[in-house]
Amino acid sequence: MAYRPEPDRDSRPWWERIARREFAVQECASCGTPRFPPRAFCPLCRTEGCRWREVAPVGTVESWIVNHQPFVPGRLDPYLVVMVRLEAVSGCLVYGNWRSERPPEHGERVVGTFTEVTEDLTVLDWAPAAAGGVHGHPSGRTSLQ
Amino acid sequence: MHNVTYVPKRLLEFRNVTAIAGVGYTPFTKDSGVSTLTLACRAVLAALEDAGLTADEVDGLATHRVGDSAPPTLVGPALGLSDLAWHLDQFGGGSVSHAVVGQAALAVAAGLAETVVCYRAINARSEFRMGGTGRGVPVSPEVQYQAPYGYVAPPQQFAMYARAHMLRYGTRAEHFGRLAVTQRAKAVKNPRALMRTPITLDDYLSSRWIAEPFRLLDCCLETDGACAVVVTTAERARSLRRPPVLISGAAWGGGTSHLSGAGADPTVTAAAALAPRLYAQAGLGPGEVDVAELYDCFTYSVIVQLEDYGFCAKGEGGPYVESGATALDGPLPVNTHGGFLSEGYVHGLNHVAEAVSQLRGDAGDRQVPGAEVALSTSQPGYILPATSALILRRA
Ligand SMILES: [Zn+2]
Repeated sequence: MAYRPEPDRDSRPWWERIARREFAVQECASCGTPRFPPRAFCPLCRTEGCRWREVAPVGTVESWIVNHQPFVPGRLDPYLVVMVRLEAVSGCLVYGNWRSERPPEHGERVVGTFTEVTEDLTVLDWAPAAAGGVHGHPSGRTSLQ
Repeated sequence: MHNVTYVPKRLLEFRNVTAIAGVGYTPFTKDSGVSTLTLACRAVLAALEDAGLTADEVDGLATHRVGDSAPPTLVGPALGLSDLAWHLDQFGGGSVSHAVVGQAALAVAAGLAETVVCYRAINARSEFRMGGTGRGVPVSPEVQYQAPYGYVAPPQQFAMYARAHMLRYGTRAEHFGRLAVTQRAKAVKNPRALMRTPITLDDYLSSRWIAEPFRLLDCCLETDGACAVVVTTAERARSLRRPPVLISGAAWGGGTSHLSGAGADPTVTAAAALAPRLYAQAGLGPGEVDVAELYDCFTYSVIVQLEDYGFCAKGEGGPYVESGATALDGPLPVNTHGGFLSEGYVHGLNHVAEAVSQLRGDAGDRQVPGAEVALSTSQPGYILPATSALILRRA
């Protein structure tokens, strides 16, 4: 395990949905523009007010790293972090650990997969679209292998 | 969409109105054995000595920090400065380093203060490791979307952007390696540099992985040390000990966020938006820059800035370095002191000081003959959507 996320007053509802294995983004109540991460204001029309919209966690691979340095105390195994361009929100990059035995490919289509890290913490990781995903990964490990 | 067109209206009142009159350093080490307050005082006094001034003449102090160092409100009293006319305690990392000097220049140009010393003092190896190893996660809302994946440190983040650039433009490990080798060759000629043993491309390619695609030799040093520069009016600087170096342009801001929500293009930095404003302030373009000290927290950050500051086309930064253009005898010598990769890492200020040294012509074996204009830049706006930079000119 790495660090536990620290939800704030903007993000707590989002994390609660993730815990229920639901991927949602905010949608502006005025102009309908989706946004992520969770924030009070729409950056386009600058109004408050939004609704949650459940979206398919799909995107494409923008980049990735394979970490070797123990930046997280106690985590010594090489692990892969992927940067994904999220389909549901224009211009949005999100991160996660990579859930496949093979490395990602540039531009490949990926799907989110929920990982139960501990009993009270679930995070969203990413896997090749062809492999399915979405319904969750049985392992509690967050590293590549 | 937000799209402000900046029309400079008061250029003549800022361009070349202020100057850097002195620079000062402590030695760069891996363990200073003293507090950041001590380092700050030593660098401030060294810069004043260089300028031929005494602390009694200082009426402003400025620094940037991330909660890791002594602020002006400690350094002032420690040096017996009881009534500073102006000070700045800028929160932020490498992306604001040059904004501190720019704001000092503004304060001097506006007449709020006459002699401002900008400093940065860090124990970035022995106390608060800048690379992230062994310290807690920085506090930012963005962290919650990254840290759970073990994605917490600058080497990881810049490696991520570097691979995006490699994938899109064909930038290769050999390009990063050539940059590291070229900068080391300059550090060999710099008595202040921590790393003075030449390296080869093979040394680079065989150095251990930190976060693929980054190897150890892609990463800057973590350094204990301090650096300071004295900002005053150009008029006053002309009567001081050293040849003045004019501040022709100072810009900060720029760009969009590369955080989760707004990563439009991870291969373009805030520098691309800032550069036209900076050049307009100084009244020149990239073709007139003789020396560039580009923020090199990692090899890749130099390559992307070569593109975003207009020295080569987008995507051509790697081949540009490979051509030898950034070597000491190339058309654009970059990081003439060896940079953070080989001289030491003082979070931006040692780039400013080196630019001053080159323009004064006192850079010794690594002097670029006839250097008249220098660009010095901060972290180009990854992690936070802002950067800052200076254009300096020999008086
Ligand atoms: Zn809206």
